[in-house]
This record gives sequence, C-alpha cells and structure tokens, in this order.
Amino acid sequence: MEKPAILLGSEAVAHGVKLCRPQVISAYPITPQTHIIETLSEMVDSGELKSQYIKVESEMSAIAAVLGSVSAGSRSFTASSSQGLAMMHEILHWYAGARLPLVLVNANRALGGPWNIWSDQSDSFSQRDTGWLQIYCETSQEALDTIIMAYKASEQLMLPIMVMIDGFILSHTMERLMIPTPKMVDDFLPPYKAPYQLDPENPLTFGAGAHPDLFYELKKAYSETMTEALTLIDQCQAEFAQKFNRHYDVIMHCQEGDKDSDTAVICCGAMTGTARVASEMLNENGTSVDLFKLRLLRPFPKTALITALKNKKRVIVLNRACSYGVGGTLSQEIRTALYDLPEHPIVNDVMISLGGKEVFPETIVKIVNDREQLSATEPNWL
Amino acid sequence: MIKLKHIEAIRNGDFTGLPISNTSTAVNMTGSWKFFRPTLKPKKSPCLEACPLHILIADYMQEFAAGNHLNALEILRENNPLPAVTGRVCPHFCQSACNRTDFDEAVLIGDIERALGDLGLTQPYSMESQECQEKAAIIGSGPAGLAAAVFLARSGVKVTIFEQSEAPGGLLRYGIPAYRLPRRILEKEIKNIVESYSIDLRCNHKIKSTDLDNLRKEYDAVIAAPGLTQSSIPETWPETPTVKGALELLAAISRDEPIPGQDFVIIGGGNAALDTARSLKRLGKTVQIIYRRTIDEMPAYPDEIIEAQSEGLLLREETVIEEIIDNGRDLSLNLHRSRKNGDRIEAGDFIETITTDFLIAATGQESSGDFLNCNPELLKAGDFAHGAASVAEALASGRKAAETTLRKFGRLPDDSITDQETQNLPPITFAALHLNYYSKKPALKIPQLDEQTRSDNFSEIHLGLSLEQLEIEAERCFHCGSCTTCGICWFFCPDVAIAINRESDNAESQILFDYDHCKGCGQCAEVCPRGVIEMEEDL
Ligand SMILES: Cc1cc2nc3c(=O)[nH]c(=O)nc-3n(C[C@H](O)[C@H](O)[C@H](O)COP(=O)(O)OP(=O)(O)OC[C@H]3O[C@@H](n4cnc5c(N)ncnc54)[C@H](O)[C@@H]3O)c2cc1C
Ligand code: SF4
Ligand code: SF4
Repeated sequence: MEKPAILLGSEAVAHGVKLCRPQVISAYPITPQTHIIETLSEMVDSGELKSQYIKVESEMSAIAAVLGSVSAGSRSFTASSSQGLAMMHEILHWYAGARLPLVLVNANRALGGPWNIWSDQSDSFSQRDTGWLQIYCETSQEALDTIIMAYKASEQLMLPIMVMIDGFILSHTMERLMIPTPKMVDDFLPPYKAPYQLDPENPLTFGAGAHPDLFYELKKAYSETMTEALTLIDQCQAEFAQKFNRHYDVIMHCQEGDKDSDTAVICCGAMTGTARVASEMLNENGTSVDLFKLRLLRPFPKTALITALKNKKRVIVLNRACSYGVGGTLSQEIRTALYDLPEHPIVNDVMISLGGKEVFPETIVKIVNDREQLSATEPNWL
Repeated sequence: MIKLKHIEAIRNGDFTGLPISNTSTAVNMTGSWKFFRPTLKPKKSPCLEACPLHILIADYMQEFAAGNHLNALEILRENNPLPAVTGRVCPHFCQSACNRTDFDEAVLIGDIERALGDLGLTQPYSMESQECQEKAAIIGSGPAGLAAAVFLARSGVKVTIFEQSEAPGGLLRYGIPAYRLPRRILEKEIKNIVESYSIDLRCNHKIKSTDLDNLRKEYDAVIAAPGLTQSSIPETWPETPTVKGALELLAAISRDEPIPGQDFVIIGGGNAALDTARSLKRLGKTVQIIYRRTIDEMPAYPDEIIEAQSEGLLLREETVIEEIIDNGRDLSLNLHRSRKNGDRIEAGDFIETITTDFLIAATGQESSGDFLNCNPELLKAGDFAHGAASVAEALASGRKAAETTLRKFGRLPDDSITDQETQNLPPITFAALHLNYYSKKPALKIPQLDEQTRSDNFSEIHLGLSLEQLEIEAERCFHCGSCTTCGICWFFCPDVAIAINRESDNAESQILFDYDHCKGCGQCAEVCPRGVIEMEEDL
C-alpha cells in the first residue's frame, strides 16, 4: 500500500530517487536543488539508502563522476540547477553521445546575469540540443513518479533523461502525495543490467574516435532511437498507470472547454496549476478554453500535439524561457510542430514570466480575454 | 504495433548503432602529437646530499614504513657500517637538510637509523663477492679504520686491523661517554662486523715507525687511520700533574680508572669539553667550563649544550685565564673578561681568582702517529687525514680509502657505486615537491631519562622507540626525488599511457611510459609528489 506524506518537492524527488535504488550519487549543491541531494546524502549516511555518495568540487565533476560510474555498470543519479546545469553542458553532450542511461533532476532557475535564483526554464530549455530526453513536471507527485518511469525508459533506450521541477514553486513547497512501496517500484523497475560496461576482463572502447561516415551513421541511429523513445515512453506511462493507478501522458489535457471551443492554452511545468485555476475561471465566465500541458519536450511529441490541437483556431503558449531575438522557446517548438497541419491555428507567443516573475490566475485570464489584441507573429511581453 | 528497431537491437546485445567498440584504440597513435615527453628523473634528496655517507635515506624509509625492516637495514648498511653508533652520536646532518622542515618538522632520521642499527646487532652483515688474494692492513680501529675494513672485506679482501689500545673503537670507546653511546651497543656492533667479515683484529698492537716496512711487504695495501687521540695542551700552561688533557681524562673514565681530585676547570667549547664536564659531574666532581666566546659560538653540538645546561653544568662564557699559578697541590687561576681585538681574543677586565684541583685542556686534538705522515704512499683516512671532524665523516673517509684501494686492485669500476648513483644527480628542492598529498604531522617525541635519574650514572639518556612506533615516523618521509610507485601519475594520465610494474626490482623499469600514446600533456610531471617525472622536448 502506498503511504501518504506531506513533503517538500525536493524531498519528494529524493524519495523517488531512493525507491529506484541508485548505486552511485554524485552532485554539487546549488539553490534551489540543494535539498534534493542533502536529503539523499542523509539517507545514505543513515544507511537507509545503500549507495556510494561521491562528493565533488563542481557540477562538471558531478556529471563526469556519474559518467564513470554508469560506464562501470551502475545505476546513478545527479541533480543540478541553473549555472550548475550550464557548467555541465560540455559533458551533457558527451554523456548522451556515449549512449549511457541516467536520470538527472533539474530544479529550474534563471541563469545570470543579473543574479536571480527564481523559477525560470531557460536553464533546461537551452540544453534542448544536447540529446537528452526532457520531461517537465507540474507537481511533486508527478516528479516522484516521473523519476521512476524515467529510469525504466532511460535504461532501455541507453539514453539519459532530465526531469524538471520548477525551482521554489515545487522544490520548496509542501505537497500531500503518495509514496509507493519499495516492492511496487522493484516490480516495475528491475535492477539495471548494463548491456555493456567497463570491465577489465572484457575490454571495450567507449566513445572512441569515429570517422565521418561512421559518426554520421551513429547520429542517425541516435535520432531514430529518439523517435522510438516516444513509443517506449507511452508504454512506460501505460504500465505505470496500471501498477500505480496514476496516469501520465506526454501531452495532457488538463481542462476541457466546450465542444466548439477554439482556443487552447498550453504551458509546461508548475505554471499548469495556476493555468488550471485560470481556465476554470474563464469557463465559468463564458470564455471556453482548453488547457494542455506539455510534459515531454525531447523527443518532441509532434503527433500527439497535432492530435491535441488540430481543431483549434488559436493556441496561446505561456513561456517561461526565451530565445532572445526569436521569442518564447516553447512557442517555437509548438509553432514548428503545427506547421505540418494543412490549416495552422494562430500561435500567440506570450512571455509570461522569467526569473520568478509571479504568474497569477488573473494574469492568464486577462491574456485570454484580450487575445484579439495579441500579436500572432511577434512575442507578446506583458 | 510499431517496431522499435534500435531498442530491440540493444535488448538483443547488438550494439552496431552505438559508439561502443570491442577493438582497441591503440591503433590511434596519439603519441605522434606530442612535443614534450615525460621521463623518470630520480633526484638526490637533500638528506642524502647532507649525509657524509650519502645514505639512500629516501629509499630505506620506504621499506621501513612498509614494515620491511630487514630490507631497510640492508639499504642502510650499503653505505653505513655502524648505524647503531651513528644513529646515536651523529649530529644528523641529514635532518638539518630535511625538506620536511619547511613543511612542519624534519623526519627523525637519526632515531630510525638507531633502531635499525639495534635490529642489526643480531643480523650478520652480507658479503658482496668471494674471497680474493689481496690482503690489507689497517692502522687504527676507530670509525675510519672499521669502515675501511668493512668495505674492503665486503669485496673479499683479507683485512687485518692493528689497534694499540686493548679494545677497538677509537674515540667511540675512549672519547664519547657511555651515556651517549652505551659500551654494550658499541661492542656488539663492532663484534658483528669483525665476525661477519672475518676481520683479523689485533688489539694491544701498536704500529711503530719501524714496523712500516714490514707491513708494506706483507700486505698489498696499508691504510692509516690513527685518528687524533691526544689532547694538545697550550704551550703557555705549566707542565705539572694538576694540568691534564680532556681526551686522556675521558679515556681514564672510560676504563673505569679512579679519578683523583674534586674541583675541575675545563677550558674549551667543543664536544670534548662538554663530554668531560658531564662525565666528571656524574662522578660527583665539581666542574666548570670556561669558554672565551659566547655560548652561542661554542663548536659543540647545540643539543649537547642544551642537555648539559639542563643538567646544571656551570658554563662561563666570554672568560679567559690570564694567569695560572701552580700551588703544587692545586692551581690558582686569574679569570678575566674576554675582549675582541679584531679576530683575536685577549684578556680584558679582571674578574676573580679561583682555585682548582685540576685544569683540563679541551682545546684541540693531535696525533700520536706523526711518523705515518712521513710516508707519502700510505693511504690516510679519518680525523688523521682531514682533521678533527665527526664519526660519519670518518666512516665516509674510511670507505673512500677502501674504494681507492679496491680500484688499485682492479676490483672496482672507475667510480664507486654510491658516487655514481647519487653524486651526479641533481638535488631536489622543497619547491619542486608537490605536497597536496601530504598532511601536516609533527615528529614523534623521543623519551629520555630525566635529569634527576641520570645525574650520577652513565645510563643512556635517549631511550629510543620501537620499530613499530617509528614506522609512523618513517611515513612522514616525502621520499624526495625517489619514485615510490605511488601510482598518482598512472591515475591522472588521461591517455592510459603509463604502466606500473611494481614487481620489477629496477627502479627504471617500474614506471613505463607508452610513448606511442602519450600526448605529452605533462599531467604526470605536474602531479608527481616527489618531482621524479620531468618533461623534456620531443621533436
Ligand atoms: C670527546 C669527543 C666527543 C665526540 N663526539 C662526537 C659525536 O658525538 N659525534 C660525532 O660524529 N663525532 C664526535 N666526535 C668526533 C669523532 O669521535 C671522531 O671524528 C672520530 O672518532 C674519528 O675517527 P677516526 O677513525 O679517524 O679516529 P679515532 O676514532 O680517533 O680512532 C683512531 C684509532 O687509531 C688507534 N691508533 C692510533 N695510533 C695507532 C698506532 N700507531 N697503532 C695502532 N693503533 C693506533 C687509536 O688507538 C684509535 O683507536 C667526538 C670527538 C671527541 C674527542
Ligand atoms: S650518518 Fe648521520 S647524517 Fe648520515 S643518515 Fe645517519 S644520522 Fe644522518
Ligand atoms: S622528507 Fe625524507 S627524503 Fe626528504 S629530506 Fe626528509 S628524510 Fe630525506
């Protein structure tokens, strides 16, 4: 039987990680992620989690350390945020290219300068092209569950997965949630059996030099595996729903409007909670909208998105990350995917928040109510 | 159902789409990129350089710390035939030069040497080669004579030592008092040498000038190491039974002869002055030392001065005797404050007149064997050859005489092993060490008898520690300039281009650089704690 608990988001993450029994943990503290690894280090210290905890002097070393431990065949974990994730950047590419599994939790936070520690998704959005899978979570329960599913997917794909929680909004907020029993997780997630690993008895070369044609072939296979990942993740989520009775999808329909509602709001992460309240308010006051949250950013679930939005005339995208000179990063992803539709809906690119700028339900209600005034081509700043 | 081709392939152990390969990267000769190559460049440690015997301290410390005491003893004996002696009485030139001084405190090399020496008292010395035809005679059984004997005998030469006294050891026996060098230890160590190398030791056999020709006929080589065993008494002093030399008095004390008189004044500031004074005090005499310069300027070893003062010895500095009045039964001395006149020291203001039973000269040493000087063909060693110095220097000089002799016999390559191995290497400085791998740790405290317990007897003052305790001390040694195969270079080399073969006995081949794959980044040289790896240009 699952046990209810009231935990901080960061503690929920730590409990999720613990249930997955990582053999090696290495991380470097950074606000707002620090609680995660503090909780884990206490678990290791008390003996309740049997794991090797490697202290390091930087995030660069943390990711390099788990690159080593996973190469040696262990299930491992690391976490970071903001500047820390940026510092890992070089190894993030290498890690994915090495075709090794891992789950990394990132607590989304703004990148300086100017200095800012608040919630902002620019840190992980700017790692889109490293080859990692990316999943954004709305609640701490979702984060805990996603970690368990992520290990399962990652180890079959031999690809690393980054799981996002919004800094402070999730990491530092208490939530009532259910903690699965170890047995439930063990039944869902068997111990990691590395298909290949560092072994002096059976020497293999990892990531050796590849000549141009071979390099191209390997990257093509990589790209195809990412496509296959969409199916695999669906399977994982379905199996999880069956065993744990909590349902997740790569894109989730959070609030349904009227049958003939032609406006959709889409966002990702914890802001979805606020948007749920806003869309309820809107529907009650006669403005019918559908609310979607995008969980999977990489690989991008294009087909699922098209299916979800194909009948809409307008899609309002709420962004927490910006690609300066273009606009909201999430908007670009959605616009690109919708291009394949014979008739495109209008995509309103709304820069709703950066660096922890507060988003109230009223903010979203106003944006939707004034939708006719929104630019359909340029980013909309408040 | 969509087919997951790539995921299936991994599941089935087919890794063709992955950057994993079961072939080696060795074909990629990354070594061709380098402009610099690492090389092993062992260096002299400063302790070795400072030790007159050039003992391979860094190397034996490694064996010692690992608990291989007998191996450590073997390395120590290669250069030092009397470690139980030098471990006690050598002023430890090595320790004053120890690199660890700049970090926290010098390694207690002397105490480890002493413990190994004591261990060796029951371990026979090893031979290097079989007996040969040549015979050598050595005059004098002090440290110089003994060292010459050992290094000759080790190469198979038949050695005879002629000693005028009734027992061997020279000043080790008749000069240095037993509270610093117990007779039991000295006797055992010499006996071990004599027996291990079948040395023909002839005591009570004084060589006279008339014996020399016969000796030269009978032996293929003769080495003279008669020391400086007599005190030189200033010419201006009266010739009377109440004036004596320090060495003669020390010899009498050593022979347990009765020492008449109660009041003693000793003139001098060297070891002989201090040893005589402290010995007399132990016999219940009243003693004072008069020295013309300041205490800081005394040539005696500083530790000896501190110990003597803690025993309550009266040291009068900057004082000279202007006049000695012989009263027959005793002497009156007019003491003046000393005064510098350029380089000279002369009498200044009158202080007082004191009376004493005996006036002892500890102002210099001379030889009783001047006739040996007349023979230019004779090889000389020890104090007799280089002037009054130390035990370690006498041993080194004896060894050198032995090596010269062996070379003459055609039994040694042009340069001695130790000279080749150690002298030509560049020394390593503190700044060249990389000390991130060490933490500060003070030296061990060596227990001693307190002043009360030792005041009226000749028991050894320094008590020493066990081998096991001293292993902790040996672990403090940096092994400056010597590769210990610690493996730090191997760990850091990003190209897996270093292999370590700890089985090999040859230091050179314990670290193997794979120059085909070394990119010349220099990390190994950067991290080597002991500065043994150097980068050199590779064009
Ligand atoms: C009181 C005193 C304390 C000292 N303390 C220390 C110390 O703490 N540490 C240190 O390092 N050094 C010390 N020294 C110095 C050290 O003892 C000498 O430098 C060293 O002993 C010299 O060795 P040697 O072999 O040249 O001569 P010696 O030790 O003097 O030995 C010479 C030997 O030759 C014998 N001999 C002489 N002529 C003849 C002959 N014609 N026929 C046969 N045999 C002969 C003598 O009897 C003697 O046994 C001290 C010296 C003195 C005087
Ligand atoms: S003989 Fe003296 S200087 Fe040489 S190692 Fe021994 S104690 Fe040090
Ligand atoms: S640290 Fe060791 S090797 Fe270096 S000088 Fe001191 S005793 Fe000699």
